[in-house]
Amino acid sequence: MTGIGAVFYRDYRQRMTNIGFVFWDLFVPLAYLMLFGIGFERMMGGSVAVGGQAFGYTAFLLPGVLGMVTFSVAMNTSWGFFMDKDSGIFYELLTYPITRTQLLIGKISFNVLLAVIGSVLAVVLGVVAMDAPIHVRLLPLTAAIVIAATAGWFFLFSVFAIKLARMDAFNTVTSAAYILLMFLSSMFYPLKDLPIWFRVPAYLNPMTWQVDLLRFSLLGVGSTTTLLLEGAATVLFAVVCLALAVRALNRAA
Amino acid sequence: MTTAAIDVEDLRKVYRTKNGESLRALDGVSFQVPQGRIYGLLGPNGAGKSTLVKILSTITPLTSGRAAVLGFDVARQPLATRQQLAVVLQQTATESLLTVRDNLLIYAYLHGVTSQIAHQRLPAVVEEFELGEQLRDTVQELSLGTKRRIQVAKIFMMDAPVIILDEATTGMDPLMKRRVMDRLRAEARNGRTILLTTQVLSEAEELCESIMILDRGRSMASGSLPELRKLSTNMFRVNLLFADTNGDLVSRLEALNPVQLQVNENSVEMVFHGEEASLLGKLADISRDMPILQFEVRGPTLEEIFIKLMKEAR
Repeated sequence: MTGIGAVFYRDYRQRMTNIGFVFWDLFVPLAYLMLFGIGFERMMGGSVAVGGQAFGYTAFLLPGVLGMVTFSVAMNTSWGFFMDKDSGIFYELLTYPITRTQLLIGKISFNVLLAVIGSVLAVVLGVVAMDAPIHVRLLPLTAAIVIAATAGWFFLFSVFAIKLARMDAFNTVTSAAYILLMFLSSMFYPLKDLPIWFRVPAYLNPMTWQVDLLRFSLLGVGSTTTLLLEGAATVLFAVVCLALAVRALNRAA
Repeated sequence: MTTAAIDVEDLRKVYRTKNGESLRALDGVSFQVPQGRIYGLLGPNGAGKSTLVKILSTITPLTSGRAAVLGFDVARQPLATRQQLAVVLQQTATESLLTVRDNLLIYAYLHGVTSQIAHQRLPAVVEEFELGEQLRDTVQELSLGTKRRIQVAKIFMMDAPVIILDEATTGMDPLMKRRVMDRLRAEARNGRTILLTTQVLSEAEELCESIMILDRGRSMASGSLPELRKLSTNMFRVNLLFADTNGDLVSRLEALNPVQLQVNENSVEMVFHGEEASLLGKLADISRDMPILQFEVRGPTLEEIFIKLMKEAR
């Protein structure tokens, strides 16, 4: 078994010991889509205009929900480092004949599958229950964006999970990240009508790049230049965060 | 020339504390372990044993000097170094959410063992470490001693040529300790090299062919046990059996200034530091009043050498 394969198997076995946790990873975004989406669509009573097209709020929110799936799965996967620290296996893992990169990629590989499954469920729910006008031919691109985004967030959160000694400190970081990165992005609302102090950090937020890309792959909206830039930035974000996480592992002891 | 299994040269490790001070965990440590040997690192808490283990297993970077495992430089070739190693760290390390079976198999997979071979090895390791009854149990439900047993059992699921054990038998029952020690001896006979740290000196005395005593990051002494004994010339352990003992005898024995004196009914155990002839003369004087039924003099144990070196260092 290759190094990545072995870590993948390890994470699969660990995650399967707590099906409730996995279910929660998948269910929360669906709940957002069902409750938040329908509630806001009814309240607004109209449509949301994006890239010259109008969509119902649930269709508009669907790419954001996929962003939320990537975020939640990544956060919970990185939290696994604390379980490893708790059981003492964390340092032993660093003595195994696998590179730090293999360890990180192996850890996220199984969880990327979960993110893809969660995304498929959200898309099916959006199409079947809420008539979201999905571009089926771009679904492979959607999967690729979900994979890159989940990996990027996982590598970022791993840096904190590896460096921080206390779980409560890590929870504070992830709670703050949850609020800031999700709400200060294009996940829940179009950014164009928002004040400048909101728009500037939102455009610098990787969540905005990912949601814009997902909005293109699912609904077919967005400017090509912006999307290319956001695509490159998403990949760069994942690569930089991977490098930072490897560095954190190398300095873990 | 055969490459040493472990080659450490002028190794230094300096930690920066939170208030910006430097803390020397290792200060110019050098040693070599030939292949197929059992080497012991002894020292009190904070001596630098675990830091040395962490450097050799590539968890912690070294500050200066050089360390290599089977010719692979730990700083420049960390992956190749780890491919030579099976490591049992000081803290208990198990996959607490998984079963004992998964712990053993996953450890093997993570060390590049194929699923087929891992499954073939599993029954023998389970039997040797008496884990059959707990095989399907989740590790978090098991006792600390059992967790430690699993941690040590894991290293026999694979064939890395160098085994590093950091106080590995801590928490194990005496029978299992004995079994682990026998197994380690057998592994060394088969060519695997073993580096172990311990505070149980009798364990090191029994198991290790060569020993290094560390204190505050420095090597205090190293060599085989006979070589270390030479460091304690004029140190003797004397066992005496008297026909009878009383307060006067104890006072007279105390007047000889023993390093250690233990009286248990009629038997007396003493450790002396001094001239053997003078000591024997004084004991002969005592025996005129209090007959000695049995008399035995021998060299110091590793523990006595260790204590002497530590006292001299402080």
